[in-house]
Amino acid sequence: MSSPQAPLPPPFAPDPQPAPALLAPDSVAYLEFKARLLLLFMLALVLGSALYVLYARGAFESTQRLVLVADDSEGVVVGMDMTFSGFPIGRVQRVELAPDGKARIVMDVAAKDAHWLRTSSVFTLVRGLVGAPTLRAYSGLLNDPPLPDGAVRTVLQGDASAEIPQVVFAAKALIDNLNGLTGGNGAVSSTISNLQRLTYRLNGPGGALTVLLGSEAEAKKFTLTLERTNTLLARLDGLALKADTQVFGKQGVMPETRASVMQLNTLLGEARTSLKKVDAILADAKVVSANAKDASTDLNVLRAEVEASLRKIESLVTEINRKWPFARDAEMKLP
Amino acid sequence: MSFLACYGLLPGARYHQRMTSTPSLHGRLTRAGRVVRLWFLQWWQLVHLGAVILVLALSPSSYSPGSRLLLGRHLYLNTAPILPGFSVLCALMTVVLTRIVLVTALSYGLSQYALQVVIRVLVLELIPLSAALFVALRCTIPDGAELMAMQASGELDELRRQGVDPLRREVLPRVVAGLFSGVTLAALSCVVALVVAYVATYGFALSGLAAYTRLFGQVFSPAVTLIFVLKTLFFCLAVSLIPMASALYGVNGRQGSSIRTSAEMRGLVRMFAVILLIEVASLVGNYY
Repeated sequence: MSSPQAPLPPPFAPDPQPAPALLAPDSVAYLEFKARLLLLFMLALVLGSALYVLYARGAFESTQRLVLVADDSEGVVVGMDMTFSGFPIGRVQRVELAPDGKARIVMDVAAKDAHWLRTSSVFTLVRGLVGAPTLRAYSGLLNDPPLPDGAVRTVLQGDASAEIPQVVFAAKALIDNLNGLTGGNGAVSSTISNLQRLTYRLNGPGGALTVLLGSEAEAKKFTLTLERTNTLLARLDGLALKADTQVFGKQGVMPETRASVMQLNTLLGEARTSLKKVDAILADAKVVSANAKDASTDLNVLRAEVEASLRKIESLVTEINRKWPFARDAEMKLP
Repeated sequence: MSFLACYGLLPGARYHQRMTSTPSLHGRLTRAGRVVRLWFLQWWQLVHLGAVILVLALSPSSYSPGSRLLLGRHLYLNTAPILPGFSVLCALMTVVLTRIVLVTALSYGLSQYALQVVIRVLVLELIPLSAALFVALRCTIPDGAELMAMQASGELDELRRQGVDPLRREVLPRVVAGLFSGVTLAALSCVVALVVAYVATYGFALSGLAAYTRLFGQVFSPAVTLIFVLKTLFFCLAVSLIPMASALYGVNGRQGSSIRTSAEMRGLVRMFAVILLIEVASLVGNYY
């Protein structure tokens, strides 16, 4: 093997315009310092980027192991997120085939988010029509004990694309039913022919009445009934007119009743006046009785005075009788 | 290199013995053999130069105080002037692409995949490629031209006569500077693109940082990260090495005034072919 200098060609004629950098090798001030600074900047940039990638990959966060067992791990890739209420709390670390033929999805759940997972938590693997499948965790009872490290849980699988054949089959059955309905002997066809007959009868003599009552004769009876009802209504109208005249006319019941009521009012007024007079008489009688009462009181006093005067007279007569010569000797002479 | 020469000569001799009756066919086959030999030779020279440069780059003896100063000068002059401009260009491109992808994804109801698409397209694919091409156009191709001028003027031979290894003195600093420039540009542009994509999506708020980081982590799986790092390194190596190899070996056996142009063109074509191969290999690694 020859040295790298061996294939170098013989010198050519000098270039008339050599590069300017060759002519001014030390044109930059503090070149060494700037070069070191640039080197440090590049190292910091690369190291920072590497650290950020490690951080983003979860290299610095403490985790808890969780194993999900699924029948089919198609679409599950390493690094995929598991979400809880839409927030990623763990990521797939490894996908492996278990001895029983099931897929084991080994996950790392961040320790700070592990408290969302409880022993009663449910895990689902849902495949949409578009995009990667999603792993979700649901914890209905947050008071249950926390999920232990290394727990193994079965994942419930829902596959939207797996439903497509069933949906297609159901749609096909539906289309068959529709074809049966809309065919020559189908229900829709007979309904339309019935509708056509109905329209014909509606346009015929009797119209809708024939349709409703079944035959033209019945429709005529109905028309006759209607005419008689009209006549009856006209007679009722005349009757009502007469009743109106008798009740509300000039010689009707109502004006007379009104006059009677007015007379009754007058009578009641007079009775009210009479009662007022009786009331005044009663008041006078009350005054009279009061005066009589006072008079009886005065009579008592007078009687007392008369009695006193009579006693005085009696005592005076007694005195006179005692003093008077003709007075009988009142002394008793004892024998 | 001797076995290659044999590889180039032997087929011609064999054809000469067998095809004496058909001189035109013989001539064509001889020309084809020469082309194949040249093709192998050029690629071998490239690989050999790369290996030698790598060994020199990893040898502590290459970093004597004088060499360090020269290397520092190349590092600084190849990187610092183009760093701000490329970062701004990258930020603008990120804003435009992020808006396009976000609006399109929203109109199709696939907004949850928009940021992932932005990170994959921009950070994983576009930025390393554009950084490498930018470094090639602004630094390493002019460096190659400079080296070719030195080669043509006999400056390298003069150095060799003075006992100074031209590879260690002139080629190694340029290759290392190109490598460094490419890696720095790619790293800074990725960071700028990530920040701008975040701001364009979530605005100036920190609330989406956790979700964004998680999404970033999902995209950058170990395999994707390894392919990304290897791709960036190989891009930078290709754009640093191939112009130097074209400058050193490109003028071999050519005559006339079109020698230099032809060598530069062939170097460019080879460089783009290598970049294309690396990109295809990375795509195969990422998505198959």
